[in-house]
Amino acid sequence: MATFRIKRYNPEKQPEPYYEEFQLDIPQGATLLDCMNQIKWTLDGSFTYRMSCRSAICGSCAVKANGHALLACQRQASHLVKNGDTIVLEPLGNMKPIKDLVVDFKPFWDKIDKIKPYLQPKTRAPEKERLQSPEQFKRIDDSSTCIMCGSCYSDCNVLEVNDKFLGPAALAKAQRFVEDSRDGKTHERVKELSKPGGIWDCTHCAECVERCPKPARPFDRIKEVMTVALEERVTNNTGARHAISFTKSIKSSGRVNENTLPVESVGYFNVKGLFDLLPVGLRMLFKGKIPPILHKSIDDVDDVKRIFMEADKE
Amino acid sequence: MKFALFTGCVAKGATRELMLSTTRAAEGLGIEFVEMKSAACCGAGVLSEKTPLVADALNARTFAIAEEQELDVVTICSTCQGVLKKTECHIDSDPGYKKKINHLLEEGGHQYTGGKIKVKHFANILSTEEGLNLLREKVKRPLAGLKAAAFYGCYVLRPSELSLYEDSDNPTGLEQIFEILGATPVYYDSRTKCCGFPIVMMNKETSHDMAGNALIDAIESGADCVVTGCPLCHLSLDSYQPEIEKMNKKGYSVPILHLPQLVALALGYSPQELEMDKHIVSTARLDKILEG
Amino acid sequence: MIKHDVVIVGSGLAGMRAALEMCKDLDVAILSKVYPSRSHSGAAQGGIAAALGNSEPDSWEEHLYDTVKGGDFLNDQDAVEEYVKAAPDVIYELEHFGCVFSRTPDGKIAQRSFGGHSKPRACFSADRTGHTILHALHEQLLKHSKSIKIYSEWYMHSLILDGDRCNGVVVSDIRTGAVEVMQARAVIFATGGYGRVFNITSNAFAGTADGVMAAFRAGIPLEDAEFVQYHPSGLYRQGILFSEAARGEGAYLLNGEGERFMEQYAPSRMELAPRDIVARAAQSEMDAGRGVDGKDIIHLDLRHLGEARIMERLPQIRQLGIDFIGVDCVKDPLPIQPTAHYSMGGIPTDKTGHVITDEQGTLVNGFFAAGECACVSVHGANRLGTNSLLDAVVFGERAGRSALTYANAVGHAKVNESHEKTKVLEQFENIFQQNGSESYNDIRDEMKTVMTENCGVFRDEDRLKVCIDTIQKLRERYKRGKVTDKGKVFNSEIYEIIELGNMLGMAEIIATAALARQESRGGHFRTDYPKRDDENFLKHSLTYPKDGELEIKYKPVVITKHQPAERTY
Repeated sequence: MATFRIKRYNPEKQPEPYYEEFQLDIPQGATLLDCMNQIKWTLDGSFTYRMSCRSAICGSCAVKANGHALLACQRQASHLVKNGDTIVLEPLGNMKPIKDLVVDFKPFWDKIDKIKPYLQPKTRAPEKERLQSPEQFKRIDDSSTCIMCGSCYSDCNVLEVNDKFLGPAALAKAQRFVEDSRDGKTHERVKELSKPGGIWDCTHCAECVERCPKPARPFDRIKEVMTVALEERVTNNTGARHAISFTKSIKSSGRVNENTLPVESVGYFNVKGLFDLLPVGLRMLFKGKIPPILHKSIDDVDDVKRIFMEADKE
Repeated sequence: MKFALFTGCVAKGATRELMLSTTRAAEGLGIEFVEMKSAACCGAGVLSEKTPLVADALNARTFAIAEEQELDVVTICSTCQGVLKKTECHIDSDPGYKKKINHLLEEGGHQYTGGKIKVKHFANILSTEEGLNLLREKVKRPLAGLKAAAFYGCYVLRPSELSLYEDSDNPTGLEQIFEILGATPVYYDSRTKCCGFPIVMMNKETSHDMAGNALIDAIESGADCVVTGCPLCHLSLDSYQPEIEKMNKKGYSVPILHLPQLVALALGYSPQELEMDKHIVSTARLDKILEG
Repeated sequence: MIKHDVVIVGSGLAGMRAALEMCKDLDVAILSKVYPSRSHSGAAQGGIAAALGNSEPDSWEEHLYDTVKGGDFLNDQDAVEEYVKAAPDVIYELEHFGCVFSRTPDGKIAQRSFGGHSKPRACFSADRTGHTILHALHEQLLKHSKSIKIYSEWYMHSLILDGDRCNGVVVSDIRTGAVEVMQARAVIFATGGYGRVFNITSNAFAGTADGVMAAFRAGIPLEDAEFVQYHPSGLYRQGILFSEAARGEGAYLLNGEGERFMEQYAPSRMELAPRDIVARAAQSEMDAGRGVDGKDIIHLDLRHLGEARIMERLPQIRQLGIDFIGVDCVKDPLPIQPTAHYSMGGIPTDKTGHVITDEQGTLVNGFFAAGECACVSVHGANRLGTNSLLDAVVFGERAGRSALTYANAVGHAKVNESHEKTKVLEQFENIFQQNGSESYNDIRDEMKTVMTENCGVFRDEDRLKVCIDTIQKLRERYKRGKVTDKGKVFNSEIYEIIELGNMLGMAEIIATAALARQESRGGHFRTDYPKRDDENFLKHSLTYPKDGELEIKYKPVVITKHQPAERTY
């Protein structure tokens, strides 16, 4: 007998959400969705959630189980039982609940819309198919698996504090077009995506990768967009300058120069940015935490330089 | 116990106290660390934004050096740990890519074989049976009464298939170590979250917000201090704590410790010996607890 | 009252393609009870067929023949011919929209073998072709958001049919429970199939016959309702589909004795024989006690393909096995059983997607249908794999074009808003007021069980009569249920109850039409009439609503190039 502790919400009954517990024997081989259906159909018909395909392809049934987003149809309920006998069910994070586990996806879809989620072809349509090599297909294969379930969006650590962030789903979807060999707007796309709220606001926490029920791996896709943005020389922003400074530092000494990195990231002529760095810089100077001005290289740094040069040639 | 120590860049720079306390802790435990002086920066997930290939090649070179030394690699930074594991997984799973990487390494006299050495975080080696026994044996000053909140650092937990923790959503490795050191572990939701360091320059409000939430959560759960396995988390939570306080118009004054500092304290070293006076947020309020 | 030029009900491949066809000229509304990208088209795995000849030389003539033979000669061949001819351009257009197809080494769209097709003509995207096309069309919908209004999570209750003209639909917003009339010059139904009347089905929970029953209640007969396709490789007990692509890549079907039993049923095609033949073969083995461990299980064995090939061509299938029953097909065979998969029958249309209302082909002004809910008929008695995605896109486009032409020629007609709304409001009120002791859950379970056991892969007169009787009794009990959720905001319970009503209606129609067809053909197999009877039954059934009863009439099959012949593989 397992206890399902469910966060209910019914605006027609009371303004605040509340927890309710249901007891259910988990049938053998039952998924979490199977159990949710059992609760609805035999214990409380008002228990509300989204579902459709039950085979992990439509993306309807994403919920938070034990604090983390997943597809209810894709997980064995018995694997989720914690603390002896309880499964905690809550609606997806970073989205407003409408009723019980049903949340408002509008902000999610608005952000998808913002990245222009459709092919903007390079060339006029030929008579037959545009050619695309298997290797080019592979570049966009992973991001194509995204089913827009919202699990990544739910658990994103940045979205928790900043709802202007486009979020992992929109940015991963953007990669699908940025790296599609048939798309002709690469530069325009990465320029937009490099603006505040875009790729450089990602904090690398990999919650999106962890929660994604498909091989989409949003964080890895975001990094790919960053690489393209740098290749396209869209560098007038802190994130890009940071990556460039970091690279320069390793290339010349094999390790990060923590003195030049912050300065080059905000930009030598960015007076405000430099001014903002002053308090923490002075603080650290006072405590003796500033690294020596004469930046030492690692042993055998020439090997590192050589690797950079050889890679450049390829 | 003998390991190749991959220090990472920050432990030798802005958080030198980490390198120092690691050395002390190793001394106290009788662990031998051979510093990898010719290993390059792991890339911190930033180098790979610009050049994924070189980032992987430099890490493969690090592995190759460890293979030559026939020593497992120990990291003292969650970010280094996560990035190295990611590289290892990527190269090991793609023979064609491995060939390409080794081609780049060749002229430098290194070749990465794979499967010969392991890459672990300092916390992971302490969590082995041998490590735990060593701790039990060598603790001289049990940290009784110290309520310590672990902050893992996201890179060491996610993606979970690369993590050495059994359950990335509910890890217990650090808390187990705290208990053996005599301290009381404090559990709280934010311990597995991100500190925001990677975006502290790109979007400092967001970054400080994330760090601030973690601090509040730790404080409200009763912590005397936060103990982290990542110097970047340390910078975010300690060096930027005044900014976070200013933003939220609150005073936290939560001392942030590096894991090796906590270990070394229990082994009998003094806060000064571990350069805890270098921290931005004073650790003085812990002195009372440490004096017992 | 909400007013648009055209309303499309259903936003899968057919619905979305129709919308794109009309959006430049008309104000289009597309309505779906789930968010568009959740539509069931996305679950299709294997591929979309077209005689491109990218893998081997191919022709529309061969595609035509394969389809007609696969349909056991019940297909309307004039429609099939236009459909297979349209196929290559349809694929190219999808690719131009941005669809991410798997490619050959020289960059063309890759094609692979599929059951029932004599040439490799299934264009695919790894093993998620439906998903890829669905999302490509959805992207186009977002691109044209200024001229296509999406009503997401809105439910369609009834069709407004005044005399001989269709003038709109009555709908409700699931989020608020508000009932509205949507007035339009033309209505297109693209509402999908109805596999959920069965116990073991590959269909999503959404496949509940809403569209077909709304048309039926408006007086339109349903064509070929008895023809339901059973896909042989559904996950045991769950019904979740394992794509035929696995067999296309070389997987084996094994009985409990480890034999490749298809040798006995289709020696030349083996595992690549059409689905109905494979499903019956599997069912026969299970009925004869030769299932795995004596149970109703057959093994789908991919082990000999090796991990690399499985990961490249069938990654999703591998993950399905692991996630839903914990079986890794790289190491172990997958347990499967026949699952109700596709509804060949539906709302009768002509080749342009225009709905017809009798055997003479009388058009219903302003009403169109496409995709699985429609019956043109291109699939006849049995659909070949990869022909359904093609059906949805080809006829979605055609229905769109027909509706566009029609709508341009007419204005909006008057609609009696309160009259239309009242019926639906009453229905809601009735359900809310019902205070009986019957459990809707039990009624649903019993319907599914009796349909699967008595109207499933193998049928006979006695079992079908029991089936019809049981369904009728369930319909009575349905009136004595009780709803728990009395709220208006996102009341999914009441919608499930309404859907159950539709399913009960459809179940009775399927069983009645099956009883009337005294032969075996394609997906419909009568153990008491095991042979195909072209003399008496080379015709499409039309089930009419008549004074509360069901009346079955027939209409002829259009035969052009291929006279019915014996169907062997």
